[in-house]
Amino acid sequence: MSQLLQFTIDTLSLGSLYALMALGLVIVYGILRLVNFAYGELIMVAGYTLYLLSASPVPWLFMAFTAVLMSIFAGIATERVAFRPVREKSVTAVLITSFAFSTLLQNAALLFISPRARVVPLPDVFSQTVEIAGAVVPLRNILTILCAVLLLAGFALLLKKTVLGIALRAAASQFRMARMLGVPANLVISVAFAISGFFAGIVAIFWLGRIGSVLPGIGLGPLLVAFIATVIGGMRSLLGAVVGGYLLAFIDVSLAHLLPSNLLQFRDAFTFTLVIFILLWRPDGLVRGPATGQRT
Amino acid sequence: MCIQFRSGIRRLLMALPLFLGAATMANAADDEILIGGALSLTGVQAPLDEPGLKGAKVAVKALNDAGGLLGKKVKFINLDGKSDAVNVGNIAVQLIDKGAKLIVAPCDFDFGGPASREAQKSGLVGISTCASDPLYSSWSLGDKQFTLSMWNTTMGATAAEFAFNEKGWKTAYVVTDQFIAYTKSLSKYFVSHFKDIGGKILAEDKYTQGKQDFSALIARVKALPTKPDVIYISSYMPDLGAMIRAFREVGIDSPVMGGDSYDDPGLFKALGEKFGSDVYFVTHTWMGPEAHPDMPKFIKLYKEVHGSEPDTSFVATGWDTIMLMAEAVKIAGSTDGAAVAKAMENNTFNLLTGKLSYKSAKDGHAPDKAAVVISLDKAKPSFLGWRQPKNPPAP
Repeated sequence: MSQLLQFTIDTLSLGSLYALMALGLVIVYGILRLVNFAYGELIMVAGYTLYLLSASPVPWLFMAFTAVLMSIFAGIATERVAFRPVREKSVTAVLITSFAFSTLLQNAALLFISPRARVVPLPDVFSQTVEIAGAVVPLRNILTILCAVLLLAGFALLLKKTVLGIALRAAASQFRMARMLGVPANLVISVAFAISGFFAGIVAIFWLGRIGSVLPGIGLGPLLVAFIATVIGGMRSLLGAVVGGYLLAFIDVSLAHLLPSNLLQFRDAFTFTLVIFILLWRPDGLVRGPATGQRT
Repeated sequence: MCIQFRSGIRRLLMALPLFLGAATMANAADDEILIGGALSLTGVQAPLDEPGLKGAKVAVKALNDAGGLLGKKVKFINLDGKSDAVNVGNIAVQLIDKGAKLIVAPCDFDFGGPASREAQKSGLVGISTCASDPLYSSWSLGDKQFTLSMWNTTMGATAAEFAFNEKGWKTAYVVTDQFIAYTKSLSKYFVSHFKDIGGKILAEDKYTQGKQDFSALIARVKALPTKPDVIYISSYMPDLGAMIRAFREVGIDSPVMGGDSYDDPGLFKALGEKFGSDVYFVTHTWMGPEAHPDMPKFIKLYKEVHGSEPDTSFVATGWDTIMLMAEAVKIAGSTDGAAVAKAMENNTFNLLTGKLSYKSAKDGHAPDKAAVVISLDKAKPSFLGWRQPKNPPAP
């Protein structure tokens, strides 16, 4: 019983992080039909903000708040620097500029801070544990789940009930039509990047809360996870990203528990084999999104 | 093929001045000795190479302030190896073209090996700052190649003897990070020596850097029939800190041991006062006078050059690499590769990272070197002393 509970909480907390990562990636993809490869660096930016603030006497919540703000800012900057100038020209150009921006940010951290891991400040609750029915669970994992549920609910409300949400959904489904009906393109795209940055910032707080430190290459892992989760879930659907995130975490955690220790090192191979089977069965991903028009 | 072609051209270029009787073709001036470095400042290898480079720069300054080497000025040029094995090799070729007489190779077999191979081809001595895999030997790289570090045989065996003989820990649980050769070979030697001296390995588990999910490992430790006396974790930052935290958070309080990748203030801070106790590791040196009387002098010089205290003791490996080269050149009386290699094989050097002598090229240039054991208590490291294992396992 306690093992099952442990397993459930492990899966849900990892899945919540994966889902948020995937959502941040897919919100931009939905509108631009382009993967933002500088997405991982938004997490890095939030991490280094925490590190740089760690020497100051401000309370941790303020640091976290600033880190998320910086991540949003970096998201908008990505759009301005890497996407907007070349968006109309070619897909390849945007792909390359997003890689370039990612490399630029990583190397800036390498040069101006250090290639070595730097510690991020964590609040006390992040290292406390609670005992639920015999299972010892880090409080951080429960906070992750709660936070993800709140954010997902809030985001769903935003999409369904607000003008901004409707504009975002319209842009994701038929961008040209939406523009003709008066949805300002640049604004919608900027907002999508800001939301992407917001999710990256929140992920950074909890993801780095697990790791305890930040280094220039920290964004690669989350970027890959987000990418795979969106592919499984369906690249056109926001719901798909969330489903994909939880499913990927479920596969990861189950394999970690089930595989014998001498096969554990090949866990990724098993994970990706399963991913391939899922894609053979559902080439468009698990959740089919709305029909879409051409990219802008 | 391409490299052979290039090195052919290089030999031709190097021979030309002899025929012409003019030194104008060589880049290095006559009144200086050029040491070339291929350490990486970017990419995955950067965290390991950057401290060594900083230490090496301090050593070069100290040498020149004391009048240089063989009456000549020492010049050190490092070009970014970019954590790319091919690039590291090319840079070594480029530096040798410029007239480098000695080569400083990156702190890892995979990335440092190519620089050493190029040095060997040109008949020069190459030294890696801290590659500890026994692959870094004259067997695989050539009779003029060395590593400043102890081998993992010593690093793993020292931990095993410390745990079993000094602490009386009889059972161990071992976690090995599968991401790089260093972590894999380190656990291998810990496990084999721990068994040799009578210890029992309860279980061995594997982990891959970057996964950030320790739930399976935790479940396995908890399922062990008895609580392990010690947990040996061979991994590196940032996951190393995360893993120890994850174990401690759920109440697994067995002592944790590991190798030189623990020697990082980042780890101490990541564990914090709450989880940073009962951790022991085996490393190269200690940044205090207890390890070597010259250490405070080095730290003072380091501060003068770089403006801040060293943030890891790995900086000492860079200093030592340059100083070891200088000593050997002094003994040899020239920078001739064969003579310098001979001097390195036949002498004992008193370095910040311990007394060092090498076995002959036939025996792989195995470094005969002691290791430092450090303990962590409430995130504060303390020096437990120098140790050398009795019969470290054969590589």
